[in-house]
Amino acid sequence: MSGSAARPALDRVQVRVEGLARAFNGVPAVRDASFTVGPGEIHGLCGHNGAGKSTVVKMLSGQLTPDHGRIAIGGTPVELPSRQAAQRLGVALVDQELSVVPALTVGENMLLGDIDAPLVNRRRTARARCRQILDGMGLEHIRPDQPVTTLGIGERQLVEIAKALSQNARVVILDEPTATLSDVESAHVFAAIRRVAATGCSIIFVSHRLSEVLDLCDRVTVLRDGSTVATTAAEQLTVDELIVQMLGETPHRLAAVAKPATSQAYALRIEGLSVPGRLVNFDLTARAGRIHALAGQLGSGASDVLRALAGLHPKATGNVRLRDRTVPYRDPVAAARDGIAFVSNDRKTEGLFLDKSVAGNLVATRLPHLGRGGVLRPGREQDAVRSIADLAGLPAGRLREPVRALSGGNQQKVFVARCLGRNDVLALLLDEPTRGVDIGGRAAIHRLLREAADAGLVVIFASTELEELLELGDEIITMRDGRIVRRYQGDADGSALMRDMTHGVDQT
Amino acid sequence: MTSADGSRHSAALATHPDPADPTPTPGGRLPRRPGPLTVASVVLLLPLAVLAVTTDRFLTLDNARAILASAAFVGITAIGATLVMIVGSAVSLAVSQTATVVAMVFLVTQHLGLLPAVLVALVCGVVLTAVQGAAVGYWDANPIVLTIAAGFAVGAAATWFSGGTPVYPASDAFVVFNRTLLGLPLSVYALLAVTVLAHWLLRRTTAGRQMYLVGENRAAARAAGLPVGRVTVLAWAFFGGCIAVTGIFLASFNTAATVTLGGTLTLDAIAAVLVGGTAIAGGRGSALQTLGGALLISVISDVLLLRGYSTGMQILVKGLLVLVVVIAVHLRTTRGWR
Repeated sequence: MSGSAARPALDRVQVRVEGLARAFNGVPAVRDASFTVGPGEIHGLCGHNGAGKSTVVKMLSGQLTPDHGRIAIGGTPVELPSRQAAQRLGVALVDQELSVVPALTVGENMLLGDIDAPLVNRRRTARARCRQILDGMGLEHIRPDQPVTTLGIGERQLVEIAKALSQNARVVILDEPTATLSDVESAHVFAAIRRVAATGCSIIFVSHRLSEVLDLCDRVTVLRDGSTVATTAAEQLTVDELIVQMLGETPHRLAAVAKPATSQAYALRIEGLSVPGRLVNFDLTARAGRIHALAGQLGSGASDVLRALAGLHPKATGNVRLRDRTVPYRDPVAAARDGIAFVSNDRKTEGLFLDKSVAGNLVATRLPHLGRGGVLRPGREQDAVRSIADLAGLPAGRLREPVRALSGGNQQKVFVARCLGRNDVLALLLDEPTRGVDIGGRAAIHRLLREAADAGLVVIFASTELEELLELGDEIITMRDGRIVRRYQGDADGSALMRDMTHGVDQT
Repeated sequence: MTSADGSRHSAALATHPDPADPTPTPGGRLPRRPGPLTVASVVLLLPLAVLAVTTDRFLTLDNARAILASAAFVGITAIGATLVMIVGSAVSLAVSQTATVVAMVFLVTQHLGLLPAVLVALVCGVVLTAVQGAAVGYWDANPIVLTIAAGFAVGAAATWFSGGTPVYPASDAFVVFNRTLLGLPLSVYALLAVTVLAHWLLRRTTAGRQMYLVGENRAAARAAGLPVGRVTVLAWAFFGGCIAVTGIFLASFNTAATVTLGGTLTLDAIAAVLVGGTAIAGGRGSALQTLGGALLISVISDVLLLRGYSTGMQILVKGLLVLVVVIAVHLRTTRGWR
C-alpha cells in the first residue's frame, strides 16, 4: 500500500453499485452485484470465469445497460447508455486488450477519443497537458511526441492508463491490465495506479492474479455466479481465503480416474519449447490415448504452447517430436501435414468459415483426401460429411445451411469435428474448447474429446475452467507467467489448481 | 411503393419528435421486401431487354456474333481475375501492361514457329503474374500496391523493349488466331474453354475449393494449416495464363503490338468480374457469373452503339452498372439481403 499518508476514505462512497443484474437471452450473467468504492480507494473485483466480472465492468463503463439495479457516482444515480456517456461522467476504462494506436505518438494517443479535445488541436496546449499527466504518473522519461512503437508493452499499458486519466476520470476501471506484463512492468503499472488513487480517484481493479490483488487493493469484492459473495478488507484476506470465496464448495475430481498410458502408444514429445516473451522452456510428453490439460489464465503461456505447436508462433524454439519424427512446427502447413490439428480459441475469426455451409466446413481441412490427384470426387465428399456429422451428433437436416446460422455450441462442434475421423491427424490441440458453449454442447464436445483420445489420438487442451480441467484432464499442468507451475496426475482439486493459476509457486 | 414509403416515413417522423433516432420500427417494414440484388436485376435488365429488342438490327445473328466476339477478349482475362478475387487478393492493376508484354513476346518469337511462340507467351504471362501472387500469398503483400508497382515495371519493360515503336512479327503464322469457326472467332471458343476450365477448377478440385476458403477467412485457413501461399499462387498463375491468352489474341488481331495495346483491359476485366457479382472481399463468386457479367457489358455496349450513342456514353453506362451491382452485392454480404 502506498504508505499511511494518503489513506483512502473508505467511510465515504464515490461509486455505489446496487443490485445490478443482467441476462443474455434469458440466461443471467449477473444476478445481484453490489459494492461501493470510496474516493482514493483501490477496489479489487475477483471471481472465477463466468462469475460476471466482465459483465459488471461493461455495465459500469456504459457498454451494456443493466436489466435491474442502480449505479451511483458521487452520490447521484446515473444512466450509462454508452461509453461516451460514461466518459462524460468521469468513468474511464482500461481494457484487457491494448487499444493504443502504434502508428501515432504518445500524445496523439492520449487525445484519441477524448470528448473534451478541441476540434482544432492546439499543439502546444495539448503537449503541455500530456506532459503534465505523464509527469503525474511518474513517466518523466516518456515524451508526448514519441511514437508508441518505441515503447515496450508495459509502457504502452501505462500510456493507456495515462490516456484514461487524461479524460479527467473520477473512476478508473482496469480490466486485467497486467495479464501480459512482466513483473517489472507490472510494478510500474501498480506504482502508477497508486499515484492515481492518491489524487482521490476511485480505482476498480479486475485481475486473476490474486496475490497482486491483495498487494494492491484496499478492499476486495468477490463475485460468484453473478452475485456478490463478500467485500473484505484486503489485509484480512489470504489467497486461500479468497479462493474459497470465489469457488464456494471447491470442485474435486470425480470418479474419472486418470487413464494409464498404454505402453505401445506413440507420443508427442515437447522439449524446451519457448516463445520469446510468452513461454519459457515447456516440456511435456503427451501419450496417445490420454488427455493432457493445460490450466492457465490469459498470459500464462498455456495457449501459446498450442499455438506454437500448430505453427502459429514463427519465433518459437525447442524440440517437438511426434511418433519420433521431428515436427517442423514453425510452419502451419507442415505442422498440419505431420498430423497436428489445432482448434483455436476464436472460432469466428480464426476457426470456421462462417458463410460456408456446415458440410463445407466439415471437409475444409480434409479436401486432399477426398479425391485423387487434386480432383475431388463428389460421392466421397458426401460420405465424409455424413459420417462426420453422424459422429459429432450434428443435425443432418442443417448440413447445407451456413455455419453462421448455427448456435454457438453447434458451431464449436463443427470446429472440433473437422479434426476428427481422419487417420492423418495424430495430435489434437484445443484452446478453450468450450468457450461460449451451452451446457449441452459442452457435454457433447467433452464426449468427442474423450472418444478421440480413446481412438488413439494425443489430445492436449488449454482451459481456464476448473470443471472442464478436472473432468477431462488425465494429466493437468498448471501454468503461470509462461512457466509450468505443477503437474497433477489424477490427484488435483479445484482450489489447488486455482492457487497455481492465480498465485504462482516456484517451479517444482 | 415510393410514395407509400415516403408517407410512412413522414408519419414516423411525426410520432417520433427526434429525427436522429435511427432505430427502425420493426412493424413498419414490409415482410420480405425484395432485396437490392433482385431490385438491381429488375431495374437493370428489364429496360435493357426492352431497349434491346426495340433496337433495330439487335435481334440478328450477326449482332449476336458481334456481341460474343466483343465479350471474348475482356472475358478471358476476367475469368482469370475471378479466381484472384475469390482467393481474396482483390484485383491486379497490372493487367494491361502484362497483356502488352505477352503480345510483344508472342510476335517477336514467331520465327520459332507458332506453337513455341504460344508456349513462350503463356509462360511469360504465367510467370510475371504468379510472382506477384507469391508476394501476396506468402508475404502478405498488399495486392493493390504491389500490382501498381508491377504495372509500372512491366509497362516500362515493354517501352524499353520496343523502343516505343510498334513490334512487328517475323512471320504471319499467327493469323490462324483470327480465323472463325462456324461463324464465330476462335477467341469466343477460347472464352468458353477458359470458363469451363475455371469452373471445373473452382468446384471440382482441392485447390479450387481451398481458394474459396482462403478468400473467405485467411486467418482461419492459416490456423487450419491450409496451404494459403500455394493456393494464392495457383490462382494468380491461372490469371496469368488467361492474360497471356488475351495478349495472344490481341497481338494476332492487331498484327502488331504497341505499348498501348493493352488499353483499358485492366479496368474492363475488373468491371466484368464485379458486374458478375463476385465479391471483391473474396470467398464468393464463380466463373459462370463472370461470363454473365462480361456478356452483359457487351450487350449494353452493343445496344448503345446500335442506337448511335458515343463511346463516352458507353463508358458512362458501364461505370454506373458496376457501381449499382457493387453496392447491391455489398448490401447483400453485409445485411444478408438477397
